[in-house]
Amino acid sequence: MGSFEVSGLSKSFRTGPPALSDLSFRYEGAGAIGYLGPNGAGKTTTLKLLVGLLRPSRGHAFVNEIDPMIDRKGALWDVGALIETPEPYPTLNVQEALDVVGRARGLSRDDIDREVDRCHELLDLPPLDLRIGWLSKGQRQRVALAATLMGDPSVLLLDEPTSGLDPAERVLVRRLLNRLKRDHLVFMSSHQMFEVTEVCDQLVFLNQGRILLKDRVDRVSDRIRALQVDVEFERPVAAEATAALRTIATDVVAISERRWRISFDGSDQNRVRLLELCQGIGPVAQFSNTSLVLEEAYLELLSKSASEA
Amino acid sequence: MIQPRAAPPVADSGGVAARRRVSDLEQWRIATFHQLGHYFRTNRFYGLLGFVVLLSGLTLAFEFSTGIARVQFTQLYSPSEYLSNYLVDTGLFVVLAAAFFGGDALSVDFSTGAGYYMLVLPIRRPVLLAGRYAAATLVTAAIVGVYYLFGTVGAVYFFGTQRIPWELLVESLGIAVVFSLAALSVAFCVSAFVRSPSAGVLITILALYVGFTTLQATLELAGFEPWFSLSYAGGAMAAVLDTDFIHLQAVPIGEDQYYNIWSATVSEGVAIMAAYVAVFLPLSAVLYQRKESTG
Repeated sequence: MGSFEVSGLSKSFRTGPPALSDLSFRYEGAGAIGYLGPNGAGKTTTLKLLVGLLRPSRGHAFVNEIDPMIDRKGALWDVGALIETPEPYPTLNVQEALDVVGRARGLSRDDIDREVDRCHELLDLPPLDLRIGWLSKGQRQRVALAATLMGDPSVLLLDEPTSGLDPAERVLVRRLLNRLKRDHLVFMSSHQMFEVTEVCDQLVFLNQGRILLKDRVDRVSDRIRALQVDVEFERPVAAEATAALRTIATDVVAISERRWRISFDGSDQNRVRLLELCQGIGPVAQFSNTSLVLEEAYLELLSKSASEA
Repeated sequence: MIQPRAAPPVADSGGVAARRRVSDLEQWRIATFHQLGHYFRTNRFYGLLGFVVLLSGLTLAFEFSTGIARVQFTQLYSPSEYLSNYLVDTGLFVVLAAAFFGGDALSVDFSTGAGYYMLVLPIRRPVLLAGRYAAATLVTAAIVGVYYLFGTVGAVYFFGTQRIPWELLVESLGIAVVFSLAALSVAFCVSAFVRSPSAGVLITILALYVGFTTLQATLELAGFEPWFSLSYAGGAMAAVLDTDFIHLQAVPIGEDQYYNIWSATVSEGVAIMAAYVAVFLPLSAVLYQRKESTG
């Protein structure tokens, strides 16, 4: 059973603010975890730390209970990692590029051939005798994905795995990930919200090197929605009339003259109190959690994090 | 924890059930052949090989056309002297090969996507380095071997097979391999230090050829033996065949003024080369192990 963990993980580079600050999470078993965040949030840095491509400034990263800084070979033994844009030597052909991975991971000749066939079938690989240097970007990415899967490692660390692929190839990869997550632990970073919701069971939101939220995909949108309520009054309400709401609300925004969106801490107690205050302003037609979809929720979370910062 | 693994060990996607542990030694062999496969298809290998063949071929063609009289004119009366004279340029080819095959051997992992392919595999970095070092040594030795082959053909042409000092020739080739190891150690160290592959190649050539040669000449002019210079040590490749070997030659350059030219003895040369390997190879391993993929 695969696992990965980061504990109090921080990473700073010579210049700029810390890339990661005190990150902690652990996942084990099988399933897919989506790692979301804007550019520069620290997603790739986290993945690099997990495979020992970077050294932590503080804290530890473990894969299958092993710190790659202490035992790289042991930690990466049962791990397939696709980070940034891997490029096998352009002089080698596809078969040779996959051979070296299979042999390094302890596969026999027969098993390598079997694995190459499997990957060929799963990922529609280019002809095996074609040199890497002659492949298109999408073909290279599929070869890199195949290399990640060679030997069937239990933990898959994928940094934007569909980057550089055309729409058909993206569908292919998403289907593959949905199959793999049944008996592998998949940790994938992505910018594509729909991709994450389609593939992943769990989400980790990251921004400016800090975790904003981590939970099951279905619960994340619920939790974010719970932080906001939409109130619809029976009659138009003036902005001055909503001043009372600000004793509890962190933000009150007019959607229309009758509809208002109120942000607050999400507690049940304050939700009841807000309803009472709204009823004090005027007759309430509707009082409900916002109808944010996950993508909006994600943007909301980011803007909230930015304003707090 | 998200959910227990359902049905190990065979994956739903049909992956292999079992893998065996691979020893460092086996991974070293894998890394060596992987790197060799790459080198033998690069333009730089065929370019350098072509350069060696062209230069050696032209030298031989000139000598063959002028005949034995030309060889004797240059006071090379024995095959040893002939070979010693011919092999003086070995250092240049070794330095070029070391720069081409070692100058970017490690930096390529941090400047291109090659590192994201190889460094995420369960191979210790020193093992990967050792594999690449072995491959670079073999390729460099192949280039040097071709150069020696041309020299031997020339010697056989002028002096016949019987008179060739085979043992000394093999000894010289052995020293050339040790020199290659030393030059590659420096090249790997440069490669582990810099991030740009082309900078690694250029710095290696500048350091090993221009830098050391200039330093050696300057020190000799100042009257010091350049015992720490790799190019000085490289002289042992030819010196082993030189029947009139002189360790210190004083060339008069004016009234009571002499310019001292030191030549490394075989043992001295080999010791200097070994020292370079002993210092620069472990240093490369440390730098490579610590280097981060920040790009």
